[in-house]
Amino acid sequence: MANVFDIYLLEALINGVLLGGVLGLLALGLNLIFGVIDVVWICYAELIMMGMYAMYYLYSVYHLPFIVAAILSMAGVGLLGVLLHVIVIQPLLGAAPINQLLATGGVLALLQSTATIAFGIDFKNLGIRLPVIEVADMFVSYTRLLAFGVALLGMIGMYLFLSRTYTGTAIRAIAQDRQIMPLMGVDTKRIYLITSAIGGVLAGLASCLLVLQYDVHPFIGLTFGPITFMICVLGGLGSMVGGFIASFVFAEIISVGGLYLDLEWGYVFAFVFFIVMMFVRPQGLMGRKS
Amino acid sequence: MSRRWFARLVGGFLACAALVCATEPSQAQEKKLKIGVIYDLTGPFAGGGSDLHYLGSKIIIDHFIKQGGVEGYKIEAVYADAQSKPDIAINEAIRLIEQEKVDMLLGMFSSAQCVPAAARIDQFKKFLWMTTCISSAVLENRHFRLAFRPQPSGRQFGMMSADFIAQNAKSKFGKDAKDLRVAIVHEDGAYGVDVSTGNEAGAKAAGLNVVMKEGYSATAPDLSSLVTKLKRARPDVILHTGYNPDITLLLRQSRELGLRFQALIGHGAGYGVYSKLKESLGNDVNYFFNVDPISIWLSNPSALKPELLPIIQMVGDEYLKARPDTKIKSAHVGMAASNTYLFMSQVLPRAIKQYGGVDSEALRKAALDVDLPEGSTMLGFGAKFEPETAGMAGQNTRGFPVIVQYVNDESKVVWPKALQQQEAVLPLPASSPYAVK
Repeated sequence: MANVFDIYLLEALINGVLLGGVLGLLALGLNLIFGVIDVVWICYAELIMMGMYAMYYLYSVYHLPFIVAAILSMAGVGLLGVLLHVIVIQPLLGAAPINQLLATGGVLALLQSTATIAFGIDFKNLGIRLPVIEVADMFVSYTRLLAFGVALLGMIGMYLFLSRTYTGTAIRAIAQDRQIMPLMGVDTKRIYLITSAIGGVLAGLASCLLVLQYDVHPFIGLTFGPITFMICVLGGLGSMVGGFIASFVFAEIISVGGLYLDLEWGYVFAFVFFIVMMFVRPQGLMGRKS
Repeated sequence: MSRRWFARLVGGFLACAALVCATEPSQAQEKKLKIGVIYDLTGPFAGGGSDLHYLGSKIIIDHFIKQGGVEGYKIEAVYADAQSKPDIAINEAIRLIEQEKVDMLLGMFSSAQCVPAAARIDQFKKFLWMTTCISSAVLENRHFRLAFRPQPSGRQFGMMSADFIAQNAKSKFGKDAKDLRVAIVHEDGAYGVDVSTGNEAGAKAAGLNVVMKEGYSATAPDLSSLVTKLKRARPDVILHTGYNPDITLLLRQSRELGLRFQALIGHGAGYGVYSKLKESLGNDVNYFFNVDPISIWLSNPSALKPELLPIIQMVGDEYLKARPDTKIKSAHVGMAASNTYLFMSQVLPRAIKQYGGVDSEALRKAALDVDLPEGSTMLGFGAKFEPETAGMAGQNTRGFPVIVQYVNDESKVVWPKALQQQEAVLPLPASSPYAVK
């Protein structure tokens, strides 16, 4: 029993929390988009991939300071989000959800292929190695801690923006009733554009932190895309708080499950939990019943 | 029969004869071997080594095309991208066979593709020359008639690293083999599973203490619980098999979570692309080992047949022309080049001269006739293929890997002793962030 509850369990729990932070950050933007515009950006992880490439080129090739590169990358991905909305989503707003899914799926393939042609197939990375924090025989990854902290700040910032600003209130109002709000004078087109830009900036923010932990290549989105989507569904599509909670639940199952059984079993348990929850609570942990 | 009619008949006959004479040489000129070449040019496997294998094969095929072909046969290659997906590899193989009408197929990097694709290609009765995909599962107990692989098998890779550790246990680690703690971690595809099976069998035979054996998905976004588990198992030596993004993720997280060990041995794929490891991990890769067929640029020239030396030079020159940024020439390019050259220089001429053509049966017979001693290929080994009745039908019985160690941006052969270029640095020096303090 002593072997089961040892310092490694504590380390696995902490790793789970930190992984949850990374996943929570990924889910934040996707949930915002779905909550407001009611469209799932299947290509969300590919936007993050583009942001990671932007970071690589700005920081490693053009030698801009990290913060400047991060701000430019976030702005670039935000602009991509706006373009995605204007070119692909807006014309399909009234279309069947499957058409919207297929369209953003097409953008996914387009971005992967564009990245392959433009940047090549090589794995690229910034070569930054941040220090490691050692506490009582346990090691905590600084990069993960940073991602966790930023995810938390992002979450709080989003909450304050949505609850304390006029635009945020309008976004929440649109999310609650897309039909009535235009009748009350809210410019839905403008709100959709702002939301898409924020969603893109959040993807850019995630990319700035992920590029410290992962190599970037045209198919990096496949590593995060499916799991991010599942977290959003588990939390309740459109619910940012739900997505955040689901991230930690998922991450802890993977981390602790992987410690006591094969790593693969950690993922199996997480997916089984997801399936069971879909039966028990189809609207997700914090989702609203339709 | 009038004289005029007779003259027309003779004239017609002569015209036909002239036409036949004229067409015969042109038919001879059209003798051609059409090769379908499949590698991953996109997707994660491309950067993990497949793209370099493609380059190695292409250099050799282009070399023979420039020479005007082989024994009167022109060479034409049709290249296909498997996109790092087994289903695409199969579809492309079928497309090449049915639509491009290729005579044979060559290539494929990933064992996950070769395992299903080899069976499908066999159904079409097409000759398959596999330059890479090392998993034993590709050939074991499948008794393919037309599939051949010059590359040593994954199990050989795994057994060699275990043997290397056991042989050095006392002298380098100061422990008996039974006291040496070994962890085996691997990606969970056909390649990783096969190498790990070899690791386990080799460790068992050598009496090593295997404290952990675990697989993981190469696309897993997080390997921190695997690292924590490794910390708990406290291995002296880690035997790792993976592609590229997962290798860097595991090693990066290992460093961040304070994993310590005395030696790490990788087994090909991502570990064979040193420049990428260096770019991702910096000097942390110093003193890591890699099991792979020898890089053709590290082979001992005096141990090779002299006619291979200008080919090695040519492959190196073309490699640098294609990839001018290359700092250390990857062994991957040499592997595919050597294995393709073996086909073009030994199997193909034999099929044409002795068996009258380039159909699958002629190529099969020619491949089975190949009997080359050590030093006959650029990779240093010989070639003799198992017959259809053998458990590993189509496998080169004379292929073997070596172990290299990366020290200060140089790659040197440290095992087997007979090919050793420098003594292995064991255990990890204190300068390594992974070294046991």
